[in-house]
Amino acid sequence: MSKGFSRRQVVAVTGLGLTAGFLVKKAEGQVVWQIDSKSCVNSKLGEVGVKVCDLCVKECVVTQSAVRAVNEFSKCGRCCVCPAYFNVKSAVGKDGLPSEKLCPRDAILRKPIGEVDPNDPANNFYEYVIDEAKCDGCGKCVMACKEPAGLGSIVLRVRHDLCVNCNNCAISQACPKDAITQWPALKAVLGLSETA
Amino acid sequence: MSRLWAVVALLCALTGSVWAQALPYERPVDRAPQEKSIGGGYKTPDVQKPLPRKGWLEITDVVLLAAAMGVSVWIVVKRRNRRWLMALSATSVAYFGFYREGCVCPIGSIQNVTVALTDGHYHIPMVVTATFFLPLLVAVFYGRAFCGGVCALGSLQELVLIRPVQVPKKLDRALGWLKYVYLLAAIGFAVLPLAQRDFVICRFDPFVSLFRRSGFAHMLALGAAFLVLGMFVGRPYCRYLCPYGGLLAWFSRLSSRGVSITPNKELDCGLCTDACPYGAIEKMRAVRANCLYCARCYEACPREGPLVQLRGQA
Repeated sequence: MSKGFSRRQVVAVTGLGLTAGFLVKKAEGQVVWQIDSKSCVNSKLGEVGVKVCDLCVKECVVTQSAVRAVNEFSKCGRCCVCPAYFNVKSAVGKDGLPSEKLCPRDAILRKPIGEVDPNDPANNFYEYVIDEAKCDGCGKCVMACKEPAGLGSIVLRVRHDLCVNCNNCAISQACPKDAITQWPALKAVLGLSETA
Repeated sequence: MSRLWAVVALLCALTGSVWAQALPYERPVDRAPQEKSIGGGYKTPDVQKPLPRKGWLEITDVVLLAAAMGVSVWIVVKRRNRRWLMALSATSVAYFGFYREGCVCPIGSIQNVTVALTDGHYHIPMVVTATFFLPLLVAVFYGRAFCGGVCALGSLQELVLIRPVQVPKKLDRALGWLKYVYLLAAIGFAVLPLAQRDFVICRFDPFVSLFRRSGFAHMLALGAAFLVLGMFVGRPYCRYLCPYGGLLAWFSRLSSRGVSITPNKELDCGLCTDACPYGAIEKMRAVRANCLYCARCYEACPREGPLVQLRGQA
């Protein structure tokens, strides 16, 4: 351009540049939504006998919600009668196990670890794996896997491959405990904020 | 008395839940058994941790945003061709809209920038910062090039506008103030403390639900309503509600180049004024603040075309 820049253009660009520079100094690489399992009603220890909070399913704009129940295997008791797998209030069947499952979507898989002694199945170990294709993060199992029977190994987590990273996460707006907040992605990878 | 009943009820409930646990456990179930105590060479499975989107893909978005604005300026200033701009619009709707599902967009980034400037603890990603500033920077020199064929929301409305009607000047001007009210409201909700903070622009974005093909029924209905209205009234969201459009209008007042109406060979026929669905041509000149880079005026001009290539020198 032959006539160059006007003074007002220079002022505007300088202003924009200074503001941008200030922000760039404190900017993070990537920021994602994460659930703090210590605050989440479903996984918070001590919150027993309260209603299961299913807002992660109801509020999320993704059809099957981007939240999943996750079993932290290192904390799982691997019980024979898992209170999150079975509906422990249902009638006991012939095999001595509760007849109903707790998960409304049948998303928990139960398989024995090693050989099961038919005379003493209760003392065998069982592995509980959550089928993420079926789970929608309703939190029923999370609430069940706590005192008095469970060890609190199941927590709710945001799946970063499913989450569309809304600027205005609808779950965070509705969450009664403000348990879902934005964190730098590096910490999401390390799981710093998600250790129960 | 009622407290007693509550205790009794709670005890019953607890017994009920523990009852099925009355199996003869010998191993401790109050702590998790580890690999050693399980034995048999058992390995604890890894807990799956899906990673967020790859960093270089996020950077690609910013590069594409900058490139698309460059193309938009080139089409409007050099090519002066509407068909090319339609192609750019369709590409932007496909990429920024349906593929990226409407995020990150400069409109919503107003709120992130506001919070980042006022709250020291807020984490603003680099990509959001760049997305906010790039279109403003372009506006200082070339006007609202972002609105033209780049913004997914604007491009979508541009593509559905098939029977444009002229909005009466006074009404147009009055409604145009709404976007500044909305901008102030959005900033007001964003500067609230964390617990009450609300990103209203994103919450009431009429098209993001369409781009995601999911969302609340009322937002999908609002998006559809805007598109139906947008078939006749040119870009209702952009002109009357878009808070970022308000910012762009301020900055584009300074711009020296952009859509230019036949600088030296005009007929004063006024066909361009009639063709502009946004009321952005006044006295045969494009008003930078309102011009949305749609290039309809070029299409309507009898002097434009492959034989009469008029280069903007205004």
